[in-house]
Amino acid sequence: MENIRLEISRSGGKRASYDVKYRKGMTILDALTEVRERQDSSLGYRHSCRMGICGSCGMTIEGRPMLACQTQVSSFNKGTIYIEPLHNMVVIRDLVVDIIPFFDLHRSVRPYLIRNDIKERDTSDREYRVLSEEVRKFLQFDYCIMCALCYAACPTVALDPFYTGPQAVAQAYRYMADPRDEGWEKRVDLLDTSHGVWRCHMAGACSFVCPKDVDPAKAVQLARMEVLKKRILRRRGKEGSRLVPPHVAVTAKEGVKPPPFDFGGAKS
Amino acid sequence: MKRDKRFKSGLIPSLNPVRFNLERWSYTVHRITGVILVGYLMAHIFETFQLGGGAAAWANTMAALHSLGPLELVGLWIVAGSAFYHGGNGIRLLLNEAFGRFMGKPILPVYPYSPTSLGKNQKIAVWTITGVVLALWVWAAVYLLAGVGVI
Repeated sequence: MENIRLEISRSGGKRASYDVKYRKGMTILDALTEVRERQDSSLGYRHSCRMGICGSCGMTIEGRPMLACQTQVSSFNKGTIYIEPLHNMVVIRDLVVDIIPFFDLHRSVRPYLIRNDIKERDTSDREYRVLSEEVRKFLQFDYCIMCALCYAACPTVALDPFYTGPQAVAQAYRYMADPRDEGWEKRVDLLDTSHGVWRCHMAGACSFVCPKDVDPAKAVQLARMEVLKKRILRRRGKEGSRLVPPHVAVTAKEGVKPPPFDFGGAKS
Repeated sequence: MKRDKRFKSGLIPSLNPVRFNLERWSYTVHRITGVILVGYLMAHIFETFQLGGGAAAWANTMAALHSLGPLELVGLWIVAGSAFYHGGNGIRLLLNEAFGRFMGKPILPVYPYSPTSLGKNQKIAVWTITGVVLALWVWAAVYLLAGVGVI
């Protein structure tokens, strides 16, 4: 492979072609940068970290939502690569989409620890107890980088723009499964709506395109089961885990007697 | 929430599974077969509604259906296949959604990533349903065309 051609969907329904010299290890983001620096400075695309951490460079590459920085040009094994903006979102310019509605959905599920005693949460010098086996129940969903690929791939979002979406539901479940959280019932009420967790049809496209294996499809089904627990089994929310000194949280499971701790407050 | 800024890609992109996973193909077939079954249900209600017009009206309806010739059988065959697939895949989805079957437990992701919700168990379930549906569909064809294989 010597040269590749990028067919890029531009604003206004136009399509532009650019020939780029291929070099080993070249990613789609490298190719786009080459185009912008050497051929067309008006090309609009978004990127930041260039190593699959920030989730900014999501775009539809050859029909599938992908991170441009994580996608090798050679993986397509063809001379022409077609690039579009992410689906299910309003295009601002060229490959740049408006992700504010997506972030609004994320915020709508209250993606943070909810505690009944706000004073304790805000002023304590200790940590909430959480065991490693409890962490495993939600850590996978904590790896979300909010790249919106799952949202763009979801066929339900394509039909129902008010659907909460796989990313937001996964984040809601992440906090529902957290033993420190006391907002289980609030989140069940948020998800148990006609545009909530019941809109998912388990196409699995969200998990298929997720660059971090967050597996939103799994989280959505687990969240559904949490909703059923409340609605059918009439389960109520539990009290969140108690405050403990950090070293107790680590040693309690191993049966090691924790060292004496001064519960009188922060030491100077 | 800025609802005015929401965007809907529409029906065609939602039904396009090309370059996606097996379950997404299954989703597309499930949706299409669902629409076929709803269409059949409407037609069936209209057909049986003709009984209210007496024996002559019913005979006319039957005659109109039979005048379609082989298309009537092909239509019934498609409806039978739709019912088999929609029912079978519906059971899989019910197991997924209400009981979390074939989804796997939360894991610590290790590269190269492979989501457990689309893993081996899910694939086996999808292919098993597809195989059974195809076998039943072949049986339906034989039954409709030759009148054999009646249980």
